[in-house]
Amino acid sequence: MNPVLPDEALEFGAAAAKAFAALGGVDAARRAEEDPATRGAEVAGALRALGTEDLDPRDGPEALAAAAALCEAAGRSALPYPVTGALLAGADGRPFAVVPDRAARVDHGDLFGEWRVARLGGRATVASRPDGARGLGSRLGPFVTDLVEAGQNGAGDADARGDVALHLALTACMVLGTVDRAVELAVDHVNGRIQFGKPIAAFQSVQFALADASVAVSGLRELAHYTLWRPTLVDSLALRVHALDVARSVLRTTQQLHGAAGVCDEYDISVLIRLAQPALRLPWGAERTAEELATAIGRDGFDGLFEHGGSAG
Amino acid sequence: MDFDLGDQATALRSRLRELIARHIAEDYLGAFTNDPADLDVAQRFCKLLADEGLLTIAWPTEYGGGGGSLWDQTVVREEMWAHHEPRGAQYMGLNWVGPAIMAHGSDEQKRRHLPAIAAGEVIWCQGFSEPEAGSDLAALRTKAVPDGDGWRIEGQKIWTSYAGMAQWCVLAARVGEGQRHEGITMFLVPMDTPGITVRPIRSMLGPHHLNEVFFDGVWAGPEAVLGGVGNGWAVIRKALAHERVGIARYARCERLLSALGRELAPHWDSLPASLRAQWARALVQVRVARLLAYRTVHAQATGELPDVLASAARIAVTQCDQAVAEVLAQALEDQALEAGTRAPLHGAVEDHWRYAQAATVASGTIEVQRMIVAKDLLGSSR
Repeated sequence: MNPVLPDEALEFGAAAAKAFAALGGVDAARRAEEDPATRGAEVAGALRALGTEDLDPRDGPEALAAAAALCEAAGRSALPYPVTGALLAGADGRPFAVVPDRAARVDHGDLFGEWRVARLGGRATVASRPDGARGLGSRLGPFVTDLVEAGQNGAGDADARGDVALHLALTACMVLGTVDRAVELAVDHVNGRIQFGKPIAAFQSVQFALADASVAVSGLRELAHYTLWRPTLVDSLALRVHALDVARSVLRTTQQLHGAAGVCDEYDISVLIRLAQPALRLPWGAERTAEELATAIGRDGFDGLFEHGGSAG
Repeated sequence: MDFDLGDQATALRSRLRELIARHIAEDYLGAFTNDPADLDVAQRFCKLLADEGLLTIAWPTEYGGGGGSLWDQTVVREEMWAHHEPRGAQYMGLNWVGPAIMAHGSDEQKRRHLPAIAAGEVIWCQGFSEPEAGSDLAALRTKAVPDGDGWRIEGQKIWTSYAGMAQWCVLAARVGEGQRHEGITMFLVPMDTPGITVRPIRSMLGPHHLNEVFFDGVWAGPEAVLGGVGNGWAVIRKALAHERVGIARYARCERLLSALGRELAPHWDSLPASLRAQWARALVQVRVARLLAYRTVHAQATGELPDVLASAARIAVTQCDQAVAEVLAQALEDQALEAGTRAPLHGAVEDHWRYAQAATVASGTIEVQRMIVAKDLLGSSR
């Protein structure tokens, strides 16, 4: 029994965090919003320098843990790049995404000509970037792009199902990075912000709100590690629903504790929360994920101290 | 990364489940019900565990224990709590009174108390909280005044579990005029000493859980002092360290969610989607609580356990207990009001809901845990 990520993964995550800090942290996202081309230039370059092209999360627990550490680092700085999709690129080099039923909608979908996309059922198709495609340009999904699906690629359903599980798990690790960073930002803010003659951290309402947020992040981290140990579809769905629930509460709390600064893009918290939205809404939000989880538990069961669903149900 | 507790823990879990299945009825809801026969079940089961060498599996071998690992202890904690603690009131003696006597007791105290605790023959209660000293335990006022070669104890304790059935009390009292932690001294006092009065407090938890205990000129000899005069705070801290991981509430939560899933299975497709989703989320919350508890055990097993880890786990576990209570009750709708063996899940949902209401207060309030987490997080600004 050892719930801690392997040292190699932690070191890789630290190297990634350092590389993203060198890009300016959240400033890299601010620059990408000004000039989307910086994603393909400076961000992709930083990832190449880290050696992410040689990292395949399917290569076993160590590789998956390293990929998770990378995704967490990306989530901490709202890295403007589809890291999860790129990590799950197949032999054909196409990045991978799990997409909503309604449309092949992918964050940073405009960065690649072709994607391999799948839905929960696991059927993979190739989807292409339409000519001249650009992101939605909205404040919550500036780089979210609708792709056009070509049809089955014949890669086999089983492979795609495994990738769906990994994609959900790694995206949840990105969310983990975001909420962890949000708590750090809030801690810095409440320690520095003086009102009524003292740091607002001196108020117990502030302390308790942050304590609860911090416990929620710790719980999400443990669940992420557990899921990485054995990333089945049902466990990845469980991790996703929990990540989204934690994000909803922790991002709300940490933004509130920033006061008006929390909605200003000069402050990292605002950019972090805005640009986390695609990961929280694609391919589905928390409620839909919870429904899918309940169905999956009914079918496949849920590992624990006692039996749930599956054949027992 | 490896979340497998190992073959030894798995074998221990199977053995405990086998014994429980054979000796504890499926509808057993613990020793502290309105039916005195439930208490007898617990007493018999303790003897059985003692005979099987399982009651003190966590104790060091030099005190006749099994020398079990922290993970063995975790499995015992989970299986006992999941099955409504068929050890009854014994866990207090086993989990911390015994270990505190091992650490601080005289040879005579060890000889007198440890074999009785190990045999499951004696019930202990804990005289800590007072009307004016709850979360702020160091504010306790119960006094021990020197009298001859011993002490006269005067004061009142409250929320004392099992005081009405306990043979012994481990009591915190103040010696001298010291402030706060100074002068606090631990006494081991037989509950049949003249001057001790127990008054049960009616509560939604059911009988035996909460009592007031009055000490009116209670005599204690010098041999009653545990760990030295004025050294009580150190004993309490050490004692509480044994309880840092806390009750494995998540284990009962998971067992009840599993039972609920079976109960609802025939109607699964006609249930409101929101209810199915709540059930699934509750299972995830239970898993998270268990993993945070495991993180704590892992830290303990590999070195130091920082306060913040233990407090985070307690917050998650106690909130999980209450959240699951609500999900179970929502699922049963109006039947959640029913108690007794003919109620759904043998009344376990009604029982769990009542008991869960105290989860964020018992053994240290959630507010105190939040203060510990916030202190770690915010440093000097708070």
